[in-house]
This record gives sequence, structure tokens and C-alpha cells, in this order.
Amino acid sequence: MTNYIYTPDNNNPGFRCRVPLNNTVQLFVADGIMQQENIGEISIQQQERGYTLHVEKGKNIPELLQIISVRTSANTRPLDFSSRFELESCSSAKLLLCSHTLSEDNFATNENISVEIGENAVLDLVMMQNEHNNSIHNAKFDISLAANSLLRFHIVTLHGGEITNTINVNLNGKGCECDLNGLYLANGKQHISNKVNISHNVPECHSNQLFKGILEDEAITKFSGTILVAKDAQKTEAYQANNNLLSSDFAKAYTQPHLEIYADDVKCSHGATVGSLNEDELFYMRSRGISYNEAKLLQQQAFAYAALAKINNPELLDRLGNLVEKRLRGEFSHCQNCSTHCC
Amino acid sequence: MENLIEIKDLHASINGKEILKGINLTVKAGEVHAIMGPNGSGKSTLSAVLAGKENYEVTGGSVTFLGRNLLEMSPEERSWAGLFLGFQYPIEIPGVTNVNFMKTAVNEHRKQNNLPALTAAEYLKLMREKLAIVEMDPAFSSRGVNVGFSGGEKKRNEIFQMAMLNPRLAILDETDSGLDVDALRIVANGVNKLKTPQNATIVITHYQRLLDYIVPDIVHVLYKGRIIKTSGKELALEVESRGYDWLINESE
Ligand SMILES: Nc1ncnc2c1ncn2[C@@H]1O[C@H](COP(=O)(O)OP(=O)(O)OP(=O)(O)O)[C@@H](O)[C@H]1O
Ligand SMILES: [Mg+2]
Repeated sequence: MTNYIYTPDNNNPGFRCRVPLNNTVQLFVADGIMQQENIGEISIQQQERGYTLHVEKGKNIPELLQIISVRTSANTRPLDFSSRFELESCSSAKLLLCSHTLSEDNFATNENISVEIGENAVLDLVMMQNEHNNSIHNAKFDISLAANSLLRFHIVTLHGGEITNTINVNLNGKGCECDLNGLYLANGKQHISNKVNISHNVPECHSNQLFKGILEDEAITKFSGTILVAKDAQKTEAYQANNNLLSSDFAKAYTQPHLEIYADDVKCSHGATVGSLNEDELFYMRSRGISYNEAKLLQQQAFAYAALAKINNPELLDRLGNLVEKRLRGEFSHCQNCSTHCC
Repeated sequence: MENLIEIKDLHASINGKEILKGINLTVKAGEVHAIMGPNGSGKSTLSAVLAGKENYEVTGGSVTFLGRNLLEMSPEERSWAGLFLGFQYPIEIPGVTNVNFMKTAVNEHRKQNNLPALTAAEYLKLMREKLAIVEMDPAFSSRGVNVGFSGGEKKRNEIFQMAMLNPRLAILDETDSGLDVDALRIVANGVNKLKTPQNATIVITHYQRLLDYIVPDIVHVLYKGRIIKTSGKELALEVESRGYDWLINESE
């Protein structure tokens, strides 16, 4: 497989992807339309708007598949599109979904993403959202896991006007595991919502949610997380945490945990915090000559880190860490060799 | 010798309660001062006010540091100007590694002096050199700032930071408390190694023991927000054997 560099000709001549991560295959979706045919072992079916990506039984895709989905000024109408990821049993894949807007039009995007993970399959999924302030984006995930499968999911919202992520996870097969981590950074008048519903439908499944938010200015974020444990889902372990760090008196973080447990032999916990910068830490750093802004940034980065730490591709972790830092410094993240704001 | 700091009739309060009630203290380059005094007399308050902690309100007096009005400066500006406070209770910062913390601090100091940031290799070399002064294992550098450090390790880390920042005036607030005999020697040696004719140290302590290693030129006793006695190093010995009552009675 080769690494692609995109210079889409007609619609958006300005777009070129930055130097890709090592060992990465890039796929490009413009206004919901997949621009590629099948790639190597991976079958890609294009639909009118959206695509299906299928990994066959027993196939392990070693490369990271980076799917860059952009909204462009070529189509500024509201758009609905759907994509589907299917991993057959005993297969594995690593996906990086990047969501961007290439212009500051008032985009409205409704995206449905269904993910089906077969028995003993493993999916590493990272979603990175970096859109303009005029963008409204609803991303709805419907995820199902079969027996002994594993999903590691990181959803990182760097920037966007009004972003709503709905994540429905159905743990349908015994012994499966879902590790869900979210980081959202909101400033100005941005609104970011994450709604998570995890259903433990069968026994012996594990789920873990960690969502962290950093808010400034008049940003508003919402987290609502439901853990549902069905009557027969004994030996369930389900954990949820949502922590928010506010550095403005005008920002608002709403958080709403919800547990619905019908089985009796379960381990469940949830916790939510909304806090401000730690004054003692700030003073300690400043007393060493670290300026207020840098001290604040160090604290925010430290806070954010846990939500990224489990990304097991060090290069990707490093790059996301840099994007988070740039974002917290007040720069709309983009790299040196590219005019847009892609990961 | 040059006056590093001149504190004149300094009053400060917290939550409307006056803690410092007129402190007068001048420290010259090359000097070592010790401040002793019973618990709650205001020693840590004085150090916090000098370092610029915001929840204290200065209600009167002045502080001149190297010719500048210290009280108008932010905590980071005070650090850049050459003031260092070794905390009585060093703060833990989970998630920020020691190396990142000190590298940021050192490079901000360099920026103030129009020097380029240190490269990773240059920083590492400097760090190892300074860690050696307090006999600290380089493994500490990758851990969160003070996180999980023992009491003694935290205090060594304070002196390490002091060594990295090379201040003109260091105020060490009970850097000796909680140290075992070896650590005390290491910390005191660290302080002595960093001593030059240009800089000065104020050590706040309850124990004569530290002053056997860091020999003070002048000893002050602080009581209820005032310095009630200033004398030579023999004052520390006298406090050790007689306590504070006689000084308090003398002053009242
Ligand atoms: N936030 C506060 N509100 C009210 N009083 C305070 C506050 N912080 C400190 N104080 C009081 O100020 C006084 C001086 O405290 P400080 O910590 O400066 O004493 P110290 O001399 O350093 O004592 P020690 O030897 O125990 O370290 C104490 O009586 C303390 O209770
Ligand atoms: Mg004290």
C-alpha cells in the first residue's frame, strides 16, 4: 500500500494533506463522498453519501487507516451521510477519523456511523474533530460488540461551533470490552455535547468511560452518560467519569450521569467533577518563573492527558498532544506545510 | 555590600486578619540570615508575601528588591528578578513532569535575558549537574512534580530547583524539617555550594542543627508578626537552650 497525498483538483484546490503519520493509509471523503476505491485488503463500498468499510474474517490490517472527511465550500447545504465499519470475527483494524471544515461556511452535517465488531475482533478507533466556529456537526455512532471483542475509542473534539456526539454502544457478546475516552476543548461561544449510552446486554462485559472537558470564555459543554445493565448481565463492570476544568466564570459544563442497573452482581461507578484551575499549583509554577499563561497551559495539558494516554500509537498520541497544546494556546491547530486544519 | 532586599515596616493580612505587623529587614549580598520564631509567628506568611502570593493583602510598608518595588511585581517577575522561595510544603503537580516543569521555568528565565531556549541535550546536561548537587536520582525527573515524593525528597527537589534557577536571594522556609541526618547534610551542602559573594540566603528554621551546616551571619526572631530580636549566630544557640519565653518577655 502507498501513502496518498491529496491534492483534490476541482472542488478545493487548496487542500493538501500534511505529511502523514508513518505506516498510514489515507482515505479522503469530500462532503460525504468517499474518493477511493478498495485499498489492499480493505474493501470500500461507496454509497451516494457515505461508504462501507469491511474487514474480512481473520484479517489484521497493520496500517493505520486515516479517513479525512472534509466539508468544502463546493456544497454548503445541510448534509446527511452514513458510514459503516464492519470487522468480521478475529480481525483487527486501526482507524483514525478526522473531521474538518475547509471554509467558514455555515455547515450543518448529520453523520451516522455504524460500527460492527465481530467475535474476537479488535478495533482501535480515534476520532478527531477540528472544525470552524460556524460548523454544526452531529455525529452519531451506533456500535455493537460481539463476544470477546475489544473497542478502544478516543474522541477528541479540538474545535467546532456546535458539535454533538451521540455514542450508543451495545455490548452484545459475552466477554467484550469497550474503553471510551473523550476530550473536548471549548472556548468562545462553542457548544460541545457528548451523549453516551452503553448497554450491557449480556454477562461479563467491561466498559469504561472517561470524558474530560476544558472550557474557557463562554463555552458550554454537556455530558450525559447512561450505563444500562440488563437483567441477566451479571459480572458486568462499568465505569464512568466526567471531569471538567473551567478557566472562566462564564463557561458552563453540564454533566449528567445515569445508571440503570437490573442485574445484581455488577461493579459500576460513576463520578463527575467541575473544577477551576488549582491556585496553589499556579503559584508554585509562577514562583519558579513560569508565566501565568504557561502555568495555566501546563495544568490544562496535565488535566487533558489521561483522556489521550491510552492511545497506543505513540506518533499519533504525540501529534494529538501537540494539536491540543496549540489549541490551548489559542491557535486553531494546523501544521506548517498546510493551509488547513487537518490532523 | 549591595542591598539585595530592603523590607520596611511591612504589614500584611489575610482574610482581614493582620499577620505581619511591621517587618524591617535588610539583606546584603553575600549574607546568610536565619529567621526563627514560634509556630504561627508569621514566618511562612513573610515568605509568601515576598514571593507574591495573591491571597495576602499588603496593608503597609515597602519592599525593594535590587532597586525595584517588589510588591508591584507578579510572582513570575519576582522569580525572573532573582528571588526564590523554597516552600515549607512543596506543591504536588500531577501530570506535569519535573523535567517539563523545570525546563519551562529555565527557558522562561532565559527568554527574559534574551537567551535562546536550551536544547534538550543542553537541558539534560544542566539538569544532571544540578541533580548531583543534591544527590538526586535522575529518575525523579520523569515523575510528576513532587508527586509521591517523600518529605525529604520534596525538600531536595526545592534545592535542585534553586540550583537550576541560580537566584540572587533564596528564602528557604523550613527546608530542614522532616529531613534525616544525611538528607540534612546533603541539602545544607547544596545550599553552601550555591553560595557566592553576589547572592544571599534567608533560612527559616526551628532548629539550631541546620545552622551548624549553614552558618548564618545574622539571626532574627519573629514573634506575632514582628522581629523582636536580631543578633549574631549565638542567638540560635540561646533559643535552642532557653526557648522563646525570655525573648518574648524582654520585648513585652
Ligand atoms: N487563610 C488564613 N486565614 C486566617 N489566618 C491564617 C491564614 N493563613 C495563615 N493564617 C495565620 O497566620 C499566622 C501565621 O502563619 P504562618 O504560616 O506564617 O506561621 P509560621 O511562622 O510559618 O509557623 P510554622 O512555624 O508553624 O510554620 C498563623 O496564626 C496562621 O493561623
Ligand atoms: Mg511556616
